[in-house]
Amino acid sequence: MSNSLTTARPRDARSEPLWLKLLLIAASLGFIGFMLVLPLVSVFAEALAKGFAPYFAAITDPDALSAIRLTLLVAAIAVPCNLAFGLCAAWAIAKFDFRGKSLLVTLIDLPFSVSPVISGLIYVLLFGIHGWLGPTLDHYGIKIIFTTSGLVLATIFVTFPFIARELIPLMQEQGNEEEEAAISLGAGGFQTFLRVTLPNVAWGLLYGVLLCNARAMGEFGAVSVVSGHIRGLTNTMPLHVEILYNEYDFIGAFAVASLLALLALVTLVVKSLLEWKFGDRLAAGIKH
Amino acid sequence: MAIKLSGITKTFGNYQALRGIDLQIKKGEFLALLGPSGSGKTTLLRVLAGLDFPDEGRLIFDGSDVQHTTARERRVGFVFQHYALFRHMTVAENVAFGLKVRPRHERPAKAEIQSRVSELLRLVQLEKFGNRYPTQLSGGQRQRIALARALAIEPKVLLLDEPFGALDAKVRKDLRRWLRQLHDEMGLTSIFVTHDQEEALELADQVAVMSEGRIEQIGTPDQVYHSPATPFVFEFLGHANRLPCVITGDQAKIGSITVPVQNISTTRELAGVAFVRPHDISLHPVAGMTTLPVRIRHMFTAGPGVRLELQRLDAEGILIADLSHEQVQRGGFAVGQAVAAELVLVSAFPAS
Repeated sequence: MSNSLTTARPRDARSEPLWLKLLLIAASLGFIGFMLVLPLVSVFAEALAKGFAPYFAAITDPDALSAIRLTLLVAAIAVPCNLAFGLCAAWAIAKFDFRGKSLLVTLIDLPFSVSPVISGLIYVLLFGIHGWLGPTLDHYGIKIIFTTSGLVLATIFVTFPFIARELIPLMQEQGNEEEEAAISLGAGGFQTFLRVTLPNVAWGLLYGVLLCNARAMGEFGAVSVVSGHIRGLTNTMPLHVEILYNEYDFIGAFAVASLLALLALVTLVVKSLLEWKFGDRLAAGIKH
Repeated sequence: MAIKLSGITKTFGNYQALRGIDLQIKKGEFLALLGPSGSGKTTLLRVLAGLDFPDEGRLIFDGSDVQHTTARERRVGFVFQHYALFRHMTVAENVAFGLKVRPRHERPAKAEIQSRVSELLRLVQLEKFGNRYPTQLSGGQRQRIALARALAIEPKVLLLDEPFGALDAKVRKDLRRWLRQLHDEMGLTSIFVTHDQEEALELADQVAVMSEGRIEQIGTPDQVYHSPATPFVFEFLGHANRLPCVITGDQAKIGSITVPVQNISTTRELAGVAFVRPHDISLHPVAGMTTLPVRIRHMFTAGPGVRLELQRLDAEGILIADLSHEQVQRGGFAVGQAVAAELVLVSAFPAS
């Protein structure tokens, strides 16, 4: 009796055999390695192919510097705007019931489903010289397309959903009780928002801002349509990379691209840190 | 604070939560709103707090109409079923919240806020917990902090929404006794929502039994238990043995016997239902003129007494009787035995 129990190890119905586990892990790592790590490494490899001197020359080139500055400027405007819009939208959707609520939620997701090129085209159609509002604005000396304003608008459109989508489920799950408690204790609307609602969503907000920023800095398609591609003036970093590459300045192109890759890596690290420290709070959203 | 509600009606979409509520609460009273889920008791509490607004009706606090004041202005202390403590603030910050958000000219000095917080924490016996976070507390502790927080603003009335619903039985019993003590010591006016009739009967000065948006009866615990106004109230407050009967005058004919009825008097003969509480049935070994023949179907020890399931022998129906251990021993009752059941106190209501 005891023999049959000790010789055969019972198979745990919930776990796979070892060989299958190893195969799956190897396949996943292989895929990630080939599709993600290899290209990333090759960016840095190509950028430093001729040593550090050409690398630094490329990234300190005046046009490159102005592209970096423009990228930072566009992000610096787009992200706070989306922060404000996202907070308002999430607050309205999560805490209130009103007609057209589901329409609003659908509209918020729109930039995700629209191709970035189309997103840019929208603004050309609106504000371009043959567009709906273009001639009127031009009359008042306001130019949108081919200027920084156009870049900012296109970037705002494309990165709008990130913060809102992060906050909406978070706020919905948190419910209204704490806010009602605050009101019954005598807090006004704004006080409640500042002291109760905002601190509760702080980590989700940070997470959303991080994603929004990464996308804002890296956006290519929408921005490309709206920009005039004027070197040194209306080129963000992704656009600048394209120009350099088209001129066969591979060192230059990869050098600027490596800065974007660096940004991606930093974003990833900070994101992982946030998840590691506050993962349970972010995912379920609330009860920590 | 004295409160008067008249004709309060509230509808959510197609659903009528409150259908014309009239209620008066005296200063210093402890009122229980008792009813099953969906009866409208929480909605009524929220209307009192200003968290929901009625479609019709008048709401008067101490003589002034408060219909158009907001929750912020009404100075009511609200205690939620799931505590609603501010999760990112410490216990002390939670309790101090109501004082810190007052407009500048009303706000007490920092030192005074601190001393008030300490005093309240001492009151709820959680002085050493000031620096903890809500997640580090047990359910009972959290509810005490929620209470301290509500009391910090010196509310005119304390509103509690099933405050012990999320706690286990022992903690619930201890806390509710402590709450009543606090109410008496501080001279509060409190309104307490619960679906637990034992809790309502133990704590309240007045009980308002609610069903489907209406108040079925308001009275002292004794009144609603012993003189229920409707079958609903009778059945909600304890087990009800129901026996079909015919009511004439102040007597009810059940099967072959006639018993006096304590709550009703009719001028003509009415078909009705007689209600008897399990402890208002006494058993005799031998049948008599005023007893019903029954057989003991099942018997089990229910804590301090014995619960017997009795099968009626003269008609369809099972009766539940509660006897003490001594009574069972003295009578020598056993399962399967045919005995006689005497209905000591009977209420009857016309069948409708």
